[in-house]
Amino acid sequence: MATAGMRRGGTALTLVGLAGLVFVYWMSFFWVSTEINQGVVQRIFYVHVPAAWTSFMAFGFSALASAMYLWLRDDRLDRAALCAAEGGLVFGTIVLTTGPLWGKIAWGTYWTWEPRLTLTLLLWFIFVGYFMVRNSTEDPEKGKRFAAVVAIIGALDIPFIHMSVIWFRSLHPEPVVAKPDGPSLPADMLTTLLTSLAVFTVIFLGLFLYRYALEGLRAEADLRSRSTAT
Amino acid sequence: MRTYIDQIRAIIWKDLVLELRTRERIAAMGAFAVLAAILFNFSIDTTSTRPEDVAAGLIWMTLVFGGLLGVGRTFYLESQDNALLGLLTSPVPKDAIYLAKTLANFALLFIVSVLVLGVFALFFGLDLGANVGGIILVLGLGSLGFVALGTLFAAISTGTTMGETLLPILVFPLLVPMVIYGVTSTGRLIAGRPFDEVEGNVRMLGAFAVAALAAGAMLFRYVVED
Repeated sequence: MATAGMRRGGTALTLVGLAGLVFVYWMSFFWVSTEINQGVVQRIFYVHVPAAWTSFMAFGFSALASAMYLWLRDDRLDRAALCAAEGGLVFGTIVLTTGPLWGKIAWGTYWTWEPRLTLTLLLWFIFVGYFMVRNSTEDPEKGKRFAAVVAIIGALDIPFIHMSVIWFRSLHPEPVVAKPDGPSLPADMLTTLLTSLAVFTVIFLGLFLYRYALEGLRAEADLRSRSTAT
Repeated sequence: MRTYIDQIRAIIWKDLVLELRTRERIAAMGAFAVLAAILFNFSIDTTSTRPEDVAAGLIWMTLVFGGLLGVGRTFYLESQDNALLGLLTSPVPKDAIYLAKTLANFALLFIVSVLVLGVFALFFGLDLGANVGGIILVLGLGSLGFVALGTLFAAISTGTTMGETLLPILVFPLLVPMVIYGVTSTGRLIAGRPFDEVEGNVRMLGAFAVAALAAGAMLFRYVVED
């Protein structure tokens, strides 16, 4: 059955990802050279940036699947949107915790309205709204549609948020402007970053498949309990 | 096209007549705005901050919170006795219903926003001078963007068990660009800067409103189907 295959695939990918994560930690703690200006704290970059990339990808995928769901009304698309949104929220939380931890040392403050940080925070809240809408309707079909609309509007709002927060910040320059992404990373740092990117993506895909299979089983169980009830 | 506009006009007319007779929402929003201005006045230390420096931000906050109060109840009256069902089963296209509801809300909020401006000018001793027209334009565009999103999400929150509690959670993160562009341009105009200086911001406010209207008109049908 397709669902069982997906669950097995999800488990396998997650395990591969977790093994990769151990390797990434080894690389970022022991293998890669220490960045000269920021010191050890820069190593959080190898978790922070891949998590950000993964969460943005997941949110984007969720919005896309939501739009397709409203168009085609296939429950599988809604499930995909839901599972991607969950993944996005998890990785977004990683971004929002590792960012301030790094910022406290690099910028001297836990929080600053740095454009990318602000955008991530707002996206995080938009998708919190996604889940609240989903879970607060009596009719689940309605919740699916409402949530899809929230995801689409959220995605459409991103360019506006992005432009406005960059513009807003340009009025209030921070005394310590540190940009985490230097244009030319040394080779070992780039290797670590790219490895970490790959590993985070694999973990996301693994979790996504696993959750997707679970939602499939849940829908099937619902269907069965309904058919036995009548 | 003619009938489309007639349909929109009929719904706007119905909403405004209802509002004129009950004065429920506009009274609530207006009273809220004045009371918020009074509270804000006591929430800032006027010995260290000049009121005109913070007025723009407070005007916009009043507008956003007061607007939620009114816009959140857009579909309340109609959902009470299933009149909404009547409206939705009528041959009027869904996007026309959305546009009409949004424009009726806009009329209310725009009146309130001018009232808010007047109240703050009075309480905070603002000298608006020659920029009154510009500030009203900015508040108008802001109100339009606000109701465009607010009306769509009011339809969503009315359909949930959480009701209006959900509305700010859904709308606030989306409103950030509007607040940023609106507050900065209002602030500069209050400070007496020429309109040219904020033109780019005003354009962005307009773009935000148009995009929100277009998205709302496209997605509203998915919110109210069934």
